[in-house]
Parts: sequence; C-alpha cells; structure tokens
Amino acid sequence: MSGPAGARERLVVVGNGMAATRLVEGLVAGGYAGEVTVLGDEPVPAYNRILLSAVLEGTHAADALTLRSPQWYAEHGITLRTGSRVLAVDRDHGDVMLVDGTLVPFDRLVLATGAIPTLPPIRGLVRADGSLHPRVHAFRSLADCDGLLEAVPAARRAVVVGGGLLGLQVARALSVRAGLDVEVVEGGEHLLHRQVPAAAGAVLRRSLAALGTSVYTGARAVRLHHHGPAVGVRLDTGPVLDTDLVVLTAGGRPSTALARAAGLEVRRGVVVDDLLTSPTDPRVHAIGDCAEHRGVTTGFVPPAWEQAQLLAARLCGADVAHEGSRSVARLRATDLDVAVLGDPVHEPGEVVEVANPLAGRHARLVVRDGVVVAASLVGDLSRVGLITQHYDRGTVLGPTEPGDLLLPDPVAAPPVLPDDAEVCACAGVTAGAVRACASLAEARETTRATTGCGGCASVCASLVGRAGERQRAVVP
Amino acid sequence: MTAATTGRPSPAPATTATTDTHCPYCSLQCGMRLEGRRTTTVQPWPDFPVNEGGLCRKGWTATGLLGHRERLTTPLVRDRATGAWSAVSWDQVLDLVAERLRAVQAAHGPDGVAVFGGGGLTNEKAYSLGKLARVALGTSQVDYNGRWCMSSAASASTRAFGIDRGLPFPLADVEHADVVVLVGSNLAETMPPAARHLDRCRENGGRVVVVDPRRTPTADRADLLVQPVPGGDLALALGVLHLLVAGGHVDEEYVATRTVGWEAVREAVAAWWPERVERVTGVAADEVRALADLLAAGERVVVLTARGAEQHAQGSDTVLAWIDVALALGMPGRPYAGYGCLTGQGNGQGGREHGQKADQLPGYRLIDDPAARAHVAAVWGVEPDSLPGRGRSAYELLEALGTEAGPRALLVHGSNIVVSAPHATRVQERLESLDLLVVCDLVMSETAALADVVLPVTQWAEETGTMTNLEGRVVLRQAHRPPPDGVRSDLEVIAALASRLGSPVPFSADPEEVFAELGRASAGGKADYAGITYDRIRTEHGVFWPCPSSEHPGTPRLFADSFPTPDGRARFHVVEHRGPAEAPCGEYPLHLTTGRVLAQYQSGAQTRRVRDLPDDGAFVELHPLLAARIGVADGMAVRVTTRRGSLRVPARVVTTIRPDTVFVPFHWLGVNRLVNDALDPASRMPEFKVCAARVEAG
Repeated sequence: MSGPAGARERLVVVGNGMAATRLVEGLVAGGYAGEVTVLGDEPVPAYNRILLSAVLEGTHAADALTLRSPQWYAEHGITLRTGSRVLAVDRDHGDVMLVDGTLVPFDRLVLATGAIPTLPPIRGLVRADGSLHPRVHAFRSLADCDGLLEAVPAARRAVVVGGGLLGLQVARALSVRAGLDVEVVEGGEHLLHRQVPAAAGAVLRRSLAALGTSVYTGARAVRLHHHGPAVGVRLDTGPVLDTDLVVLTAGGRPSTALARAAGLEVRRGVVVDDLLTSPTDPRVHAIGDCAEHRGVTTGFVPPAWEQAQLLAARLCGADVAHEGSRSVARLRATDLDVAVLGDPVHEPGEVVEVANPLAGRHARLVVRDGVVVAASLVGDLSRVGLITQHYDRGTVLGPTEPGDLLLPDPVAAPPVLPDDAEVCACAGVTAGAVRACASLAEARETTRATTGCGGCASVCASLVGRAGERQRAVVP
Repeated sequence: MTAATTGRPSPAPATTATTDTHCPYCSLQCGMRLEGRRTTTVQPWPDFPVNEGGLCRKGWTATGLLGHRERLTTPLVRDRATGAWSAVSWDQVLDLVAERLRAVQAAHGPDGVAVFGGGGLTNEKAYSLGKLARVALGTSQVDYNGRWCMSSAASASTRAFGIDRGLPFPLADVEHADVVVLVGSNLAETMPPAARHLDRCRENGGRVVVVDPRRTPTADRADLLVQPVPGGDLALALGVLHLLVAGGHVDEEYVATRTVGWEAVREAVAAWWPERVERVTGVAADEVRALADLLAAGERVVVLTARGAEQHAQGSDTVLAWIDVALALGMPGRPYAGYGCLTGQGNGQGGREHGQKADQLPGYRLIDDPAARAHVAAVWGVEPDSLPGRGRSAYELLEALGTEAGPRALLVHGSNIVVSAPHATRVQERLESLDLLVVCDLVMSETAALADVVLPVTQWAEETGTMTNLEGRVVLRQAHRPPPDGVRSDLEVIAALASRLGSPVPFSADPEEVFAELGRASAGGKADYAGITYDRIRTEHGVFWPCPSSEHPGTPRLFADSFPTPDGRARFHVVEHRGPAEAPCGEYPLHLTTGRVLAQYQSGAQTRRVRDLPDDGAFVELHPLLAARIGVADGMAVRVTTRRGSLRVPARVVTTIRPDTVFVPFHWLGVNRLVNDALDPASRMPEFKVCAARVEAG
C-alpha cells in the first residue's frame, strides 16, 4: 500500500497490548508493505496481560509473559516506542502527539488502547492529588502486579473488590501464594453474576468458603476508613472489613478518551464496522477491548485476536470481514474450576442443567436447535475440552446428548472372561486356551500367550490351571 | 551371461535347517528363528536384544505366506481390451517391459518413466531401485511410499539435529528414562514387543505418557493419557513449552551451549497459555499442566512421535514443536533421554537413506549437492552430470501420472498404492491413465490387479538382504528356503531390466555384492554404512550407522557431544498451529482419523492372506454419545462419508475414543478413498490422520 505521496503507507498503532501485538505479528506474516510504528504507554515490551494473576500466584515467572522483545520489532523493521503515552490524535493533520510533544504522522491509524480499570465509587479511595490510597491496588498492568507483589509480604489480610473472573483469580492468588486471609466483595447478587447463573455463583461461594475465602455478595464497598497502618472497607450492608490491602478488580471500560477527543464516533467503545473501520474516518480502525463492533464490546483475548488477525489480513490486501466472535472465558485459579462459553445467563434457548452443590459442581448448557450456544461449567471440567469443541464447531447434538454430556461415563462392570474371550491380543489366545494350560510356562510355549507385548502376563497367571472354571478376572 | 541375469537367489548355506533372521513386517524387525525347510516354523531367538524372543501374532504366523496358494509364480501380461491375463516367460516379459519403457522415453523423454518403491524393501533393493532410475532410466521421477510414513519426522529431525535417524539411541534405553512421552503412537498394538521396554520403564519407577485421541491399549498401560482432537498435537506441545518457561523449567545452560534459536521460541510460546491450548486441542487445561509438571520433574525425558503426530499437513511442524520441548528440557544427547521417532515400515529407516527418494542419493545425500553427485557418480562409474535432479514427491508423482507433463509409465516395487495412498480414488484414476504399469509383487495385490505387467518376486525367507530398524540398527534378513519355481528376486529383476535398457554400468543381483557397493556409495554421507558387512551384522546383533570403517564400532547413541550441524548445535524452530486442512463443519461435523490394528499390516496384501490372522474387515470406532446421536448400536452398519468418498462399515461403539472423532483402520481398500490429500509443505506428507467426516446409520 502507498501513502498520499506514493510513499510507503505510514501505519501508527496506538497501544502495545495483546491486540496490538497480534496485529503487528499478522502484518509481518502477511508482508505488509507500509511503515509500522507502535506506541505503547507502558515502559515494558508487550506482554501477556491475562497471565498477570498467574504471576501474582507464582505459577508464572514475569519474564515468561513477554510476547515480543524490542529486538523482534527491530528485526522486522518496526518502530516500537515504549513509555510513549499519546496525548491527542489530530485527524486533520494526520498525526498523533505524544506526551513529550513529539508528533508522529500517520496515513492510517489503529486504536488498540484497551480498557482502563473502573474505579468503584468508594469514598476515600482516591487522594486529593488523584492517586490511589497507598493500601489500594488496581490490577491491570505489570506495574500494578509488581506493586501488589511488593505490598503482599507485609500484609496478612486482603479485600478484593469485584467478584468477577479477575477478582476470583486475584483472590485465589493471594491465598495460595501468600496465605493471606482474603475477602471478596461483589455488588451483584452472586459471584460471576455477568457470566454464570445464580445457582452456579452460590456453588462458587461455597467452594471459596471451603478454601478459606469469605464472600460478600449484594454488597458494595462505599467507604475506606483509616485504622492506623491498616484500613477498613465499609460495605453498604453494614459491616466494616478491616484489612491490609484492597485490590480493585471491578472490571474495566473501553479506553476511548483519545477517540472521543478526536471526534470519532464513540458509544461504549470506539465504534467500528465489519471491516473494523470507524464510520467517521476510513483511515482509522479500532480493535480489541477499546472497540465496539455491532454494539458489543468485549474484554477477552480471543475476540481481540480475531479482530487483530482480520485487520492485519485486510491491510495486507485480503478480502475478509468480521462477523463477531464466540467467546470462551476460563478462570485461571488453583482449585477453582470455571469455564464460561458465550453468555449462559442471557442467551435464549433450552437450558440443561446438572447441579451438585454438595460436591461443588454446577453445569449449564444452553441449547438451541441441538447446538450448544452457551454454557457455564463450575467445579467439574472433565468434559470442558469436548463441550468447547461442540460449541466452537456448532455441532448438532442428539436430543439426549446435552444431558448425557453433563453426566459421568457409566462405570463398567468388572469384566467376566468367558472361555472364548481373547486375553492375549498379540498372539490371539483365548481365556479358555490359557485355562487349559497347567502353568504359565506351558501357556507361553504352547499358545504363545504373553510373548508379544507382555501386557497380559498377570491375567494369564491368574487363569492357568483353571480349566472349566469360568471365573472372574479383572483385566489390569 | 552374468549372474545378474541368470542367477537364482542363493539361500544361506544350508548346513542346518535353522536360520536366525527378522520378521517380515514392522520397523521393530524382531529377531526370529526359522526352522524346517519344507514346513517352516517360527521359533524365538531370545538373544536378539530388541524383542528378546517376543513376537506378536503377525510374526508368529509369518510363515503363512510361504507356499501360499495365491502366490504368483509366473510373469503375467494383461490384455487391455479383454482384461485377460496371460502367462509369459521371463525373457519375453523383460524384453517386453524394456521395449515399452524405451518407447515411452523416446516419445516423452527420460522423465516419461517413473519408479515407485517402498519402505518394506531391503536396503539393497532400495539402493538398486534408485540406481536403476538414475542410471539405467535416467529419470528424476523416483519416490516411495515412505513419503507417507516417515517424511515429516525425517524433515523435522534433519532441520533440528542435522541428521535423521528415527531413534538416536537403542530402544531399550527407554527402560531407564524417568518419563517417556508417546505422541501419536499405539505401539502396544502396532509393534507389541516394544511395549516390554515401556513396562520395564514403569517397573523402574518411570512414567509413561500417551497423547492420542483414542485410549489405545498403549494408553491403558500409561500413567497419563492426554486425548487431543486429531491435529491438536502441535498446540499441545506449544502449551507444554509455555508452562516450562512459566515455571522456570528450561535447561538454560543446555540451551545456551548446545542449541540456537531459543529466544524466538520463548517469545512465541508466551501466547500459548493452557486455557488457550484447551480451546484448540480439546484437552482440559489441568491436563496440559499435569503433562508439563511430569516433564519438568523428569531428569531423563524421552519424547517419541509416530504417525499420529506426523501424518498431518502440519506434521513436520508438529514434530519440530515436540523437538523444541525435548531441547528446552535439555534432553537430546543426554543418556536415556532425548527425542526419537518410531518408524513404521520394516525398512522405513533404510528405505529413506539410499536413494529411492526423489531428492536423495545413497548415504542420505542430497541430490542437488554437487559433492554428493560427484561421489555417488564415481561409485557408479558414470558422469555426475548424467544424474538427473530432484523429482516429484510420492503423492505429487502419482497425481501427475498420465497427465500432459507427467510420467506415462510406472514401475512399482513393494507398494500397494491403491490401498495405501490418500484420496485413493483419484490415484486409481491416475494409474489407469498410464500407458504402462508394471508391478512387482508376491500376490495379486489390488495395485497389481490394475497393472499391464505383473512380475512375481521373492519374499522374506526366500531372499537375503539388510534392513535398518527404527533404532538405526542394520540387521540381516537371511534366506531360509528357496523360492517357488518361476519367481525371481527384485534385485534380479532390476539387474535384468538395467541390462536390457542398455545401462552404461552393470547391476549386481547378489545382495552381498550390492550391499558392499551401497557401503561405498554411502561412505562419507550422513548414513554411512561403509564399515558394515554381513558378517559383522551376524556377530554383533546388528550394527548401528554411522559406521564409516571396519574398525568403527558403529554408533548406538548419537549427539552425546555435538549435533551434525555446521556449528554442532541443535536448532529450535518457531512453529505455529494452523490446524487441519479440513475443519469440521455442518455437513461433515466429525474428525476422521485412521490407524492400524494388531493383526494386520499396512495394505494387508500379506497379512490378509495369512489364514491364522483374523481379518474382520474395516470398521468404525465411535463413542456411545455419537452412536446415540445417530441411532446406531454396536455392530450395526454405518456409512462414513467425506468430501472424497463414502464407506459402509460396521460400528464399534467404544468409550475409548473422543466423541467428536471416529476411527477407521486403513488396511482395507476403500478407507483411504476417504482421506484428505492435503500435503505438508516441508515433507509432502499427506494428511492421513485427520479430515472432516459425517457418519450415519446405513
């Protein structure tokens, strides 16, 4: 592609998160001909943001999150500017201004600015200078994670504000890694109330309690009290939770300030069409958490990546359009198993549920025309791989199949070995033939049983010398 | 006349009625003892270390094909108008074939004639066949069915390690490993005696992991089974690498001193966290973690791939991903650890080393390397410039047959193409469009039945030759009894044709002479056999290549000090999951995968004719959830349909398979008509192991 003067198109990507990295990878793979500049406001190279709670928990080393090093950008001729917050987009002049005043000209602009954490309306949360109270931590960036990790050793208790996927991951991470007493505050009527039905939320609450984490649902934190070195979180239901740390995980909202200021159409997110292009300006695209496509904003990686790959393909000349994504959300937390496929709370369809709260399990499939169109699985993920495949492929199931999918395989009765049952597949020897032998040595010599893979040796040993007995034998 | 045109195959000195030899089937090449000339029986040969006297029922019944009533004993020529076969003498048929081949080449150039070999041929036959193509016919169009077997692992191993030897260590080494991971191998059924070594590994405290969409008999004796969707093995490996990085389990010192390319892999796998792997592979994230934890805890880890991982359009990348895992753990070159490939066909290893492959010359040399051409041409006594260049790979060769630019005549040795090729309907059409199809076989195989000329050749126990087993151990199959009257060895056929085609140099039909020549041709190559002799093989229970001189002990274990790459280091490769060429869709909602059963071997041309082996025909395995969906019970007829064809087979309803996947064994005509012919870009391996399918009662 070429710019207005016939020169190479100058493509500027605002943001260096997961969507932006995927876009740039797609541009490299597709042989994009223009000049690419990536502007990231964080000081570090692109990293896998969704694994931050794994770093907090200690299952992942922080450097294992790095998606692309600065060398990679250099090797592929891409200009990467980390620590470069964008102050404004000037569509008339076709440039963006960085916070240090630098102007970066563009022929084409991609907004991949992601989301910013929502600050719940809690009095005392933000200090007079606009910064968060020192006991309070957001959890969106590697810097947030580092800050929290620094605070953990001196803490004994933590309150997590927000009982969504991220909140539960952080709660478990603080329990598992540091042994903190953790309490979770959720304004909705149950945990994961955007993702799972109430009964499933109740199962989760019970499971968390068994793991030592208390949950307050239907309760909003309204005020932060100061108790010397500690703080107290007052809930609108009355109690005050004394704690050493407060972590805010109450969701995020699309980061749209730049787009709004630049006069682009913005509703909840930056509005884009099926080609991921702003209806206001054909030179401007948006992808990932900041984008609103067909009225939907998402906070998940898979749709952000689909958008990034699609836009990369388009910029490399392919004729493809975005039709929306299927989302699968997974909780990444030790001893807490949750998978959410689509929107099992609101998606219309027949609901098939199996619940066993005593065992910490709840499963719901939403089925329409035989197809699983949404699902939530809590506490038992033994079939998650299969159910996800059915969901992604739109497999048409039989009438009893959704229910059968949620039930365990029937337990097989211990096999009885009739004389004509083959016990040695390698040599093709029946139980009767082995029973007719007086010893294992005789069986080996005359029937060749046990002489192949040797796996039937114990069964054969239990059969020899038992001619006439149609005994039970348990195949190992 | 020379021995080449008149000689009968000469059995080993018949002083006793006992011959130590090897099984006619798979790459394990189990040692066995044949007794009795007239009525031959199989007895254990306990001293041979690979199988220690054990055999599976295929081996025990192998003599069932000696003296079989379906054995071909005279050359046959088919009348195209009537389809009738007539018996002709050897002199007549060799004259006829040579004359027709010359006519085709006169009209269409040297590449008008193609040669197709097999991974079951001895090293001597594979070598002579390649030489026949390059010297007597002057055609570049030579390849073999091993392309459908070993090529993905071969390509990956060569790129990663600079060499391709299936196992870089003796198989029994796995007994001392802490963890053995089998990716897409069902060795308890496909090479049962190998399972003894796995069992001993477990008895010694080691753990065995099986990665397979089916819970196979091999998986039943494993500690951990991981059941991905077909085509998910690559993403699984990336997920394992991700977790090894995350947990700090990478052997950084090994990576720094013995490999190159790690940093790029480390970055690439940051994007393969377990829950993403779960969505792609259908394996729960916790199982991916369990696998990674097991690997991380092992001091000595062996990763073995087989056709389940390799026969994909991303097969060579899948192998590279698992090699990355082995390298990240610092295993290749460490005692009782490393990466290996479980070769399939009897001589799948040797068959890919000595020049029946479109891009190779003997000794695993590349045909476009001028030094390699000069060396081999000198051994052959021809000018390097007279050797043709690189030809088409197996499936591409078959697809081109009878087309404007393709060969018009084909010679087939040791392959039953219409049963074993992917998209077999199209392959059959191509074979039928030829001006001349010549097939050498023991029996009237499905492919021979399409031929214009069928030449009856010797089989195992009637001929002598070497095989190179899955360990890179060169073993000697010895003749035990004379062939039936009217039958000639492949080496005799090749030598006689070469002579009639006016070959500038003579071809020997004596296997030991051919082997000595092969040794000279391979000298200095990667697969160097120069120091190996029949006598050494007899006294040493086989000799591992490379073995460059008679003083050299052979090389049971590779890579201890360095890798045969220019800088001595192994190479990491960044690979990405692309997925199968055909994803399930509304019309074809299932994955179809294929494989073997214990009692049959490959296209079944041999085993289906052995009376003592059960032949129940093809069947389809499906899960009870799927059976209920389509309303079939165990034993009922089911129709399996893909974009290429349809097959009606009985259902076997089993809980051991993924409910989104069905399995059909491939030993029978018709199964490979269903299979996709999408090719791996590096190895040209067809995607046998996954395509989209529909099953319905019927």
